[in-house]
Amino acid sequence: MARHHRQSEPERLRRDARIAGLRDFQTPSLEAVEQRRRQLWQRTATALALIAAVVVAFAIIPSDRVAEAGTGRILFAIVGVGGGLFLWAFHKETALERLTRSLTDERVLTAALTNRLHEVSLLLDAGKQMNAHLQMDELLDTILRSACELLDATGGSVMLVEETDLVTVCALGRDAAVGQRMRLGEGVAGYVAIRRDPVLIDGHADPDLFPGLVLREPYVESAMSVPLVHRAELQGVLNVNAPIGRSFTEYDLRALAVFAEQAALAIANARLYEAERAHVAALLDLRKRREVG
Amino acid sequence: MVAPRVLIAEDDPDTLVILRVNLNAAGFEPMLAGDGHTALERIETEAPDAVLLDVLLPGIDGWQVLEQLHEKGNSVPVIVCSGKDNVHDLQRARELGAVAYLVKPFDIDRLIEVTSEVVGLRQTDPVTERGTAPDTELA
Repeated sequence: MARHHRQSEPERLRRDARIAGLRDFQTPSLEAVEQRRRQLWQRTATALALIAAVVVAFAIIPSDRVAEAGTGRILFAIVGVGGGLFLWAFHKETALERLTRSLTDERVLTAALTNRLHEVSLLLDAGKQMNAHLQMDELLDTILRSACELLDATGGSVMLVEETDLVTVCALGRDAAVGQRMRLGEGVAGYVAIRRDPVLIDGHADPDLFPGLVLREPYVESAMSVPLVHRAELQGVLNVNAPIGRSFTEYDLRALAVFAEQAALAIANARLYEAERAHVAALLDLRKRREVG
Repeated sequence: MVAPRVLIAEDDPDTLVILRVNLNAAGFEPMLAGDGHTALERIETEAPDAVLLDVLLPGIDGWQVLEQLHEKGNSVPVIVCSGKDNVHDLQRARELGAVAYLVKPFDIDRLIEVTSEVVGLRQTDPVTERGTAPDTELA
């Protein structure tokens, strides 16, 4: 397909603004374009009404009085002016339409950039909060609360891998879940752990897809589960539940998956810290025994 | 000749700019939407000739946009763009009336080729194109 040389977006905007009669086009806005459109059509309507009045006047005035002036030619000229005026207004309107589209596009781009910055900012804040904790209990609580805040979720849980099981170590909205175990591969979380793929559940989960699925009480309409993986090592699974009447989307799932990458890193660090502390404690204990011995 | 208008519904600002520049250079008139609501609004009010619809959109996602268009009987040709290459999503897109399914990251020339076919700028034999995964024409 032939590629054409096209004007750049600012050039197009300037050209259309000039055609549409927006002379001081330093700060483009949709409002200014709308105002110009109203002005254009008000003036056009007034001019066309005047022309129509003149035509009607010609029709009312007895024909013998205007015959000398050449009625046909005058009417033709008037209609010609009217047609020209309409075409002029239409030309301006076309430029205004293009301007509206271009400015809407600019707004969309600005909004997309703002959204992305907001997302990155939220994720950075969540990362900072998570990295401020090395104690596992505090960290898990922070992870779950941050995930719920990020996605406007009402509750959820963090499950960690213990040998061949997933153990719920932290829960929000359903405290009874803490301590529950399930084998890797069982239920939604087990499926996520084995596949290492985020899952979005909308409505009832399919028991055929998730063997060993236990029906949730109370029923959750929309939920997401993402794996917590750091350096190819599965740390656990993060689950969040949507409030009643709201459904999570694929977009939310991607946001949670990005969040989970940071959460997995924080959990791996906390585990290292715990291991180090245990190691130091063991060394101190050994030293004490030697001194006593 | 009036340039065919193509709505790009995509949340990523970089992708929006890249697609806009390339579609513009290829002779289309691109329009942008950064979320599902804006996409639906612009489809209804401005009636584009084709839609490039990303599945991951904030607010209402691409699937919901497609569902609503399907329910309303809006026949604008939709090319679904997704990072997932699986039969389930392909089937879902087909059921909801999408005309093509492109898997990300896509080749920009391929995208322009498919868009041209969809808006009728270029004629190819759909049979030879059908089922050539990962980028698949559905109709």
